[in-house]
Amino acid sequence: MMTLLEVRDVSVSFDGFRAINNLSLSIGEPELRAVIGPNGAGKTTFMDIVTGKTRPDSGQVLWGERQIDLLRLSESQIARAGIGRKFQKPTVFEDQSVRANLSMAVRNKRGPFAVLIWRATAQDHQRIAELAEEIGLTDRLDDRAGDLSHGQKQWLEIGMLLAQDPRLLLVDEPAAGMTPSEREHTTDLLKRAAKTRAVMVIEHDMEFIRRLDCRVTVLHEGSVLAEGSLDHVTKNQQVIDVYLGR
Amino acid sequence: MTLINRPPVAATPPILAQGAEATPSQRGFLRENPSIPWFLGLLTIFTLIVSVLSEGLGIGALSTSMVKILGMTLCLCLIAIAMDVVWGYCGILSLGHFAFFGLGGYAIGMWLMYARTEIVIRDSLAGAVLPPTEAELSEAVAAQIFGVVGSSELPLIWSFAHSLPAQLALVVLVPGLLALIFGWLAFRSRVTGVYLSILTQAMTLALALYLFQNDTGLRGNNGLSGLQNIPGLLDVPQAVLAVWFLWASALALGLGYLLFAWVVSGKFGSVIRAIRDNEARVRFLGYNVEGYKLFVFTLTAIVSAIAGALYYPQAGIINPAELAPIASIYLAVWVAIGGRGRLYGAVIGAATVSLLSSWLTGGGAPNIEIGAFRLLWSDWWLVFLGLGFVAVTLFFPKGIGGLFDKLVRKQP
Repeated sequence: MMTLLEVRDVSVSFDGFRAINNLSLSIGEPELRAVIGPNGAGKTTFMDIVTGKTRPDSGQVLWGERQIDLLRLSESQIARAGIGRKFQKPTVFEDQSVRANLSMAVRNKRGPFAVLIWRATAQDHQRIAELAEEIGLTDRLDDRAGDLSHGQKQWLEIGMLLAQDPRLLLVDEPAAGMTPSEREHTTDLLKRAAKTRAVMVIEHDMEFIRRLDCRVTVLHEGSVLAEGSLDHVTKNQQVIDVYLGR
Repeated sequence: MTLINRPPVAATPPILAQGAEATPSQRGFLRENPSIPWFLGLLTIFTLIVSVLSEGLGIGALSTSMVKILGMTLCLCLIAIAMDVVWGYCGILSLGHFAFFGLGGYAIGMWLMYARTEIVIRDSLAGAVLPPTEAELSEAVAAQIFGVVGSSELPLIWSFAHSLPAQLALVVLVPGLLALIFGWLAFRSRVTGVYLSILTQAMTLALALYLFQNDTGLRGNNGLSGLQNIPGLLDVPQAVLAVWFLWASALALGLGYLLFAWVVSGKFGSVIRAIRDNEARVRFLGYNVEGYKLFVFTLTAIVSAIAGALYYPQAGIINPAELAPIASIYLAVWVAIGGRGRLYGAVIGAATVSLLSSWLTGGGAPNIEIGAFRLLWSDWWLVFLGLGFVAVTLFFPKGIGGLFDKLVRKQP
């Protein structure tokens, strides 16, 4: 397993509040990792930094074999480099069809001129059909994404993420608002995805994390408090104090 | 599962029967855009009817000035669909697109004015003992054109005014470059929403104020005039020219409609609508949002300029007031009333409002006496337009075009 993403000594403050404080962590490829922590621990800010939405005050974020500094790239360049992100709230393009949503996400050339003359090939249709099947939306492909249920929107967003074919998936609370059977489906899918990619999941739900059965990183006040198996971190006294034992 | 394992695209899967049929993007372009044949058909019928009724080529039921107004309206419809693409589809509320329209008019106006003045002077010197040299001719033309602002030298920006191809190129290049540079600066700094609108207003205001100065080389507040006289076609009566320009405007509108319908259909259209709805999310999909905005902003600026280059020879005069901020605001009002996000909506809005406006303010409509109060349309028209705008925004957010959709019941 090689290191895919390495975050080194990253700090960022908002109006004097240190959201991330000398945070260092890394993830390999392939690997499944869960990130937990109380509210305000910096989980979402961490994802914002990796995806280029927030610029840290100091530190480095290195990516891939060539150790590219992600802090020099724009959001879209980072996405093209192979980092996909799923937001906490499902954010799909509600005004457009499920097919259009998936079609935009499918890995293809992204420049305006290339997209302007782009027309779907049989392979693109095949890929969209596969994705739709995977996320259980085959018969809703031509419906407006806005007409889907909350759970289906979550699924559509996961489908878009898979369509991007990223090397690293950052998934923010995937199980929020899902029924138990949908959760099970989500765990299976994330575990399968993590066989060939790096997948990092932010989640509050302990049961969900237990089912993921992976290495866990506990964040607290913007830095890593503990790391290891779920059993290992839940026995850590500090973790119990700040997070679990409240 | 091939889907989850990377790289799934590498394997060439057999074509699924279900994937190969009934998918929208595989249907024909026209079947996907049913408004195109309708629009082009109606535009052709309209043009034929006006030609038959015209004074120049037909039975004379429509006066030449009416034909000109209709031709100009077609140009306004063209800039309105450009505005619809940039605002209704891409979400950039540009309140400066009339600046590009005006610049297109100035670019073609320079050639019209120069070439025609040259002909007039050549004719007046025809009786002279010595034929004038090129330099003398150029000086005389400059004195004639710029006498009104107290100058007799041809400014540098008129260097190509003698050449029609050069000025036609400038119709596209000047507004295109301005849009490219302005857009690059604004979008790169992630200026969006109302701040961008204000910036575009500032751009068109600055340009108008600049052109108002006498020493900018475009005759200050006099503007360029006599543009209805087309050099080389001076023998053709205005009544006939008006019909020709109507045809040219209709052709430009038809082509513009096709171009934009093609641009907003397919994946490009998907991406720009996605940018309108949530541009941050589009970035995380790996699209360079700024590049797309710049593309749309510049393309629509160029089409606006072409519309302007066809409009002002019919109007006959262009001056800096045409670039005033209010013009671009009207443009947004037309598109909002017609219905954003549908090209025919923009056409309906621009045609309805601008024709109503010229009818009501041109004294065509009878004034209404209510007791001692006399309702003068020229005074009250703007009030009613404002009220209409508010009513449409409140009660028909999709505009007149949205009512159409309800009748036709089209797919989302």
